[in-house]
Amino acid sequence: MLHVELVLQGLVNGSMYAVVAIGLTLIYGLLRILHVAHAGLYTLGAYITVLTTNATGSLALGILAAMLVVGLCGMLVYRLLYEPMLERPPYVALIASIGLFICMEESYRIVFGPYGSSFDMPRLGERIALGPISIAAADAAMLVGAIVLLTGLAMLMRRTRFGVAWRATVTDPAMARSFGIDTIKVRYVNFFIASVFAAAAGSLVAVLNNLVEPTMGSVPSYKSLAIIVLGGLGQVGGTLAAALLLGVIEAYGTIYAGAYLDRDAIAFIFLIVVLMIRPQGLFARGS
Amino acid sequence: MLELKGLTCGYGRFVAVRDLSFTVRRGEAMAVLGANGAGKTSTLMAIAGQVAVQSGAILFDGEDITALSPMARCARGLALAPEGRRLFRDLTVRENLVVGGYVRAARATAANMDKVLALFPRLEERLDNLAGSLSGGEQQMAAIGRAMMAEPRLLLIDEVSLGLMPKNVDICYEALDALRRAGLTIVLIEQSLERVLDMVDHVCVLESGSLAWAGTAADARGNPDVIRAYMGGVHG
Ligand SMILES: Nc1ncnc2c1ncn2[C@@H]1O[C@H](COP(=O)(O)OP(=O)(O)OP(=O)(O)O)[C@@H](O)[C@H]1O
Ligand SMILES: [Mg+2]
Repeated sequence: MLHVELVLQGLVNGSMYAVVAIGLTLIYGLLRILHVAHAGLYTLGAYITVLTTNATGSLALGILAAMLVVGLCGMLVYRLLYEPMLERPPYVALIASIGLFICMEESYRIVFGPYGSSFDMPRLGERIALGPISIAAADAAMLVGAIVLLTGLAMLMRRTRFGVAWRATVTDPAMARSFGIDTIKVRYVNFFIASVFAAAAGSLVAVLNNLVEPTMGSVPSYKSLAIIVLGGLGQVGGTLAAALLLGVIEAYGTIYAGAYLDRDAIAFIFLIVVLMIRPQGLFARGS
Repeated sequence: MLELKGLTCGYGRFVAVRDLSFTVRRGEAMAVLGANGAGKTSTLMAIAGQVAVQSGAILFDGEDITALSPMARCARGLALAPEGRRLFRDLTVRENLVVGGYVRAARATAANMDKVLALFPRLEERLDNLAGSLSGGEQQMAAIGRAMMAEPRLLLIDEVSLGLMPKNVDICYEALDALRRAGLTIVLIEQSLERVLDMVDHVCVLESGSLAWAGTAADARGNPDVIRAYMGGVHG
């Protein structure tokens, strides 16, 4: 049973990484921008969830508000920050993005205070039994939430005309334009959906930990950057696999090496080793 | 249907095509010939809105489209099968065709796809394959098919036969011929002189970015001026 529970725990963490990292991959795939500030939006999503839930008593409303507001903020970040520098070399946007991320973390500290916030009433603390194994309700919510979001995204991308146009734009924006696709709209939708995903992950982590802090985005930010490289930059499927793999490795590492190293250290050792062996990512395709 | 008036276009400050004028009437086919680097692709891409026009004007159905976006040109009935095909490699052939028809109503997609498959039956079995996995000939068919999904009135096609096996060249030319007979206006770029003169009405030859010769296909056949310009001055 230990293995089942470890894998399950790994998948829970991995699905959180996946939801954050897929947003990053979508943005990298379309614009070749490493959107570090993505993790700032994730934190914002967590704060909005806690504040709205405490104000209204409805967690569902809190999560929805977070997704909507953060989605709009993502479009704003594109419009105000990235769009003016699209013609510049990629590191310009990267530096700007790091700057924005730091700025966001400090703003949260000023506005919401340095000590973090919690739900007035602890949420989803109980455990659900599935035969011999049991899983925390919050963990289950994370898994189910990730599955719903990722399936929804896959359906949008595969089954709708707009989704196909979106993927065409990622492959060849100039040709997409010549076939009448509004590639600017694709960018806004891309930022909206990616940011909605960040917000959803932030919400679910807030529920999981019953704590949101100004700096809660730092570790997910570094990890998700490493994950998208591991997944073969810009590839949604590879990103998903890399995120889940990292989650499981972490879960095992915590049990078998947890006495010497903490979870994040284990994750980074894994990421560094893999990237040393396969700098092109685990799932890079030959060109 | 299409009129270029003193078109000068290029990349940044670089001028690729200078002061080019020609007219293509409705239902006609025009071939743009010339040596490597003569400016054929630049001309075509300027018509499609992909290369910057530095001066001059492009008229489509009497409307000045010089400042229109590629999207708007597509909506007005201009479709492109570009150099190198440029299919969306990570999309299936079916999805490429869907993108081709993106400017038209979704409910027109099925009927238009049937027309494309009637033109290129070979694509039928490849519909669910990734476009990147197609052979050169199939890619050209898919590229022409994708353009036809936009229900164009003017088809722009670059390098019809380059890199294709003779059998596939036949298939593509037969398809273009059928489309032209059905009333489509075509501007095409071609490297091999033989095949193209049978199919087009008019020819213009570019030489280092300028118009070197223009006339009917019949006059172009065997014309030493055309051959010389076409060879890019190799013989002179
Ligand atoms: N993207 C670009 N940036 C800068 N210059 C370019 C670009 N594309 C083409 N050129 C230049 O413009 C000129 C015309 O090129 P163009 O591709 O239009 O010629 P072409 O007649 O299509 O040649 P080919 O037969 O090789 O396809 C050439 O001197 C070429 O080097
Ligand atoms: Mg060319």
